[in-house]
Amino acid sequence: MRLELRHIRHVYSPGTPFQVEALRGVSLSVGPGEVLGIIGGTGSGKSTLVQHMNLLLEPAGGKVLVDAVDATTLKKSELRRRVGLVFQFPEAALFAPTVWEDVAFAPRRLGLEEAEIGDRVRESLALVGADHLKDRSPFALSGGEQRRVAIAGVLAMGPEVLVLDEPTSGLDPASRQDLLRLIRTLRDTGTSVVLVSHDTDEIAEVADRICILEKGEVRAIGSPSEVFYANPDFAPATVSTVAALNETGWDIGHPVRFRETLRALAGLMEG
Amino acid sequence: MPDPASISCEDLSYAYPGEAEPALSGVGFEVRAGEYVGVVGPNGGGKSTLLRLLNGLLAAGSGTVRIAGHDPTTEPFEVRQRVGMLFQNPENGLVAPFVEDDVAFGLENLGVPRGEMRARVRGAIEAVGLAGYERREPHTLSGGEKQRVALAGLLALEPEILLLDEPTSMLDAAGRREVLDRLRGLRREKTILHVTHHLEELLDADRILVMNGGELVADVYPAQLISDPDLLARNYLVLPPLLRLASGLGLEAKKPRTPEDLAREIQHRSPRRTEAR
Amino acid sequence: MSVARSFGQFYPVASPLHALDPRAKILSTAVLLLGLFFVDSAAGLGLVAVAVVALVAVSRVPPLTFLRLLRPVAFIVALTVFFQVLFSREGETLFAWGILEIHEGGVRLGLFLGGRILLLVSAAALLTATTAPLALADGLEDLLSPLKKLRFPAHEVAMMMTIALRFIPTLYEESQKITKAQAARGADFAEGGPLSRIRTTIPILIPLTVGAFRRADELAEAMESRGYRGGEGRTRYRELRFRQRDAIALAATALVLAGAILL
Repeated sequence: MRLELRHIRHVYSPGTPFQVEALRGVSLSVGPGEVLGIIGGTGSGKSTLVQHMNLLLEPAGGKVLVDAVDATTLKKSELRRRVGLVFQFPEAALFAPTVWEDVAFAPRRLGLEEAEIGDRVRESLALVGADHLKDRSPFALSGGEQRRVAIAGVLAMGPEVLVLDEPTSGLDPASRQDLLRLIRTLRDTGTSVVLVSHDTDEIAEVADRICILEKGEVRAIGSPSEVFYANPDFAPATVSTVAALNETGWDIGHPVRFRETLRALAGLMEG
Repeated sequence: MPDPASISCEDLSYAYPGEAEPALSGVGFEVRAGEYVGVVGPNGGGKSTLLRLLNGLLAAGSGTVRIAGHDPTTEPFEVRQRVGMLFQNPENGLVAPFVEDDVAFGLENLGVPRGEMRARVRGAIEAVGLAGYERREPHTLSGGEKQRVALAGLLALEPEILLLDEPTSMLDAAGRREVLDRLRGLRREKTILHVTHHLEELLDADRILVMNGGELVADVYPAQLISDPDLLARNYLVLPPLLRLASGLGLEAKKPRTPEDLAREIQHRSPRRTEAR
Repeated sequence: MSVARSFGQFYPVASPLHALDPRAKILSTAVLLLGLFFVDSAAGLGLVAVAVVALVAVSRVPPLTFLRLLRPVAFIVALTVFFQVLFSREGETLFAWGILEIHEGGVRLGLFLGGRILLLVSAAALLTATTAPLALADGLEDLLSPLKKLRFPAHEVAMMMTIALRFIPTLYEESQKITKAQAARGADFAEGGPLSRIRTTIPILIPLTVGAFRRADELAEAMESRGYRGGEGRTRYRELRFRQRDAIALAATALVLAGAILL
């Protein structure tokens, strides 16, 4: 599915002395089998932005388009099924007595048949590598396990777009790797993925396109090599290293991901 | 009599009530005053349990702990005057509805007279760069600011030892930098034990303890750890990308601090050196 | 974020009332609340009402804002008046229609009781509007401390108030986040009758409760590691000073009240 945001504006507490313009005309899109990485720090408006993708927040101006259809014309439940949104620290919303029941919550709300619900739960738990946890209480799991179960709870709706807000924050390195693998798997099965993160090294490894959000505006959007090489203050370590070499007159091209960068640099060492 | 070690434990073991597997077994090490020691390892490896035994939040099952010669179990108050502990989630450690009242909390507990308390609160708030935030409410602060308030609350007590339990793991990049900058300024002045998942935070530590399965599996210099792929892999440790690039290129010997350092190193080693201007 | 002003809220401005020692205000309010039950004449109530209106003026809380603080209890006042008017059979009959009879005594009693409740609530609202919550907790701890001898946990009560003040905004934000997270999973909080409403709040209440317990655990650890061991041997960062003006305020309250009771 293609999700498109056109000139989205959002104002908090309009008409009061506390009025804040959080988004000032943000446009971006993500297509099937694509990972859009959004980079933004505190105050960039990224958390406000993701809530517009399934209209949990209504824009003050602009449009959200789902396969070119205005999202406001869709039923809310339909929109939220198609655009799955995983908040930061999603494990804070786990509530059911078992993992299975928790993941079944969303498909149940969709009014699916019991057999279909079972299939969805099994598939989503398998996707996040948590099938063995299905009978456990979600509150007795480790932090990394809870995170995966919470994500499965959104995947069980069968979203065509998955929006993840800082999905790796607070996790240990092994759990982070698991999550990045999951994102690649989803992308490969045709899901559109929006990944919001402040960790540029991490985002550089999985994103097909990059958007830098700053003070509620899109500062740059495009391919990772275009965006990172033009915005050194947001660049991952790989890009910074290559840029430093290019600066001295070498021409190594514009690799971004770790492997391609290593390959390019190793070529230099061999002469 | 020589100065007692700042922190010392011997054959330390602990099992949580109702758990068959011990969370910690046979851990022993010493930290000298003014040392900066990192603690790494996978979740569930015993890092947090260790810190909690050191300041008496948990009582050792067997073995001994001494903090500047005191036993945290029998003399918790002695120990807690000397040890400040910074937690993962600053939100849940702030007690009072205003910044200055929270910073004063520990001093109130120690019974410090009001006049002295005022001065120490002011000093601690300034030390973490939050002057002007005295009347702010914690829930209106960013993660990095909350963690700095928590740090100010510890510094007001003038502890000798800081125990840091993943203090940056819930913060964004900017918040992490804020907190790490403040902590860096305290090296040497305090004995620091720093638990983290981010190896790059520990590159200039004096030593790194690696914990896994409740045991202390290595007590090494940072340079030793980052050039030992086997030790890293066995303990699910991941090098920061810059070091991974360097080691992938066979440049272990010199550890780059910045991308520019690495670029210089590559230039220096490359046979194509002459091509460049 | 704009939070609707409601009963019990602090209104942070500088005024002579705000500047009073919290203990003077708590005591005055307590005296007034108890004393009001002994005021049995309309004139007496009138005197107290005049005093309360004067105090609102002195407090620099805008009158409309003050009325809004009272709004949540307006219903109770209305209900009291309504029942007295409807069910009292005293005095002259003013109006009769079928079984419905309204008597003069009922109207009088209804207005009197309604007025009393309104004054009780106004006095309490005046206390909370002019006293910062933390000062209120400190003042209460101090006033209740003689009861420590009777094993009343004065310090613990005050500490609980402080912690509640600290965590109410945090828990409020948390509840907003959880609500949104469940909405993203298809929960609809607007639909259905009361029973299904209760059911739809379960996915919010459970994680909120679990989260609150986790926070409490972590808070307890942090407090302990910061040397907390109860009220024993503790000093206070905030100073309470009972000055002459506090004594005068207290005396004035007692005087007005005595007058009202005698009237």
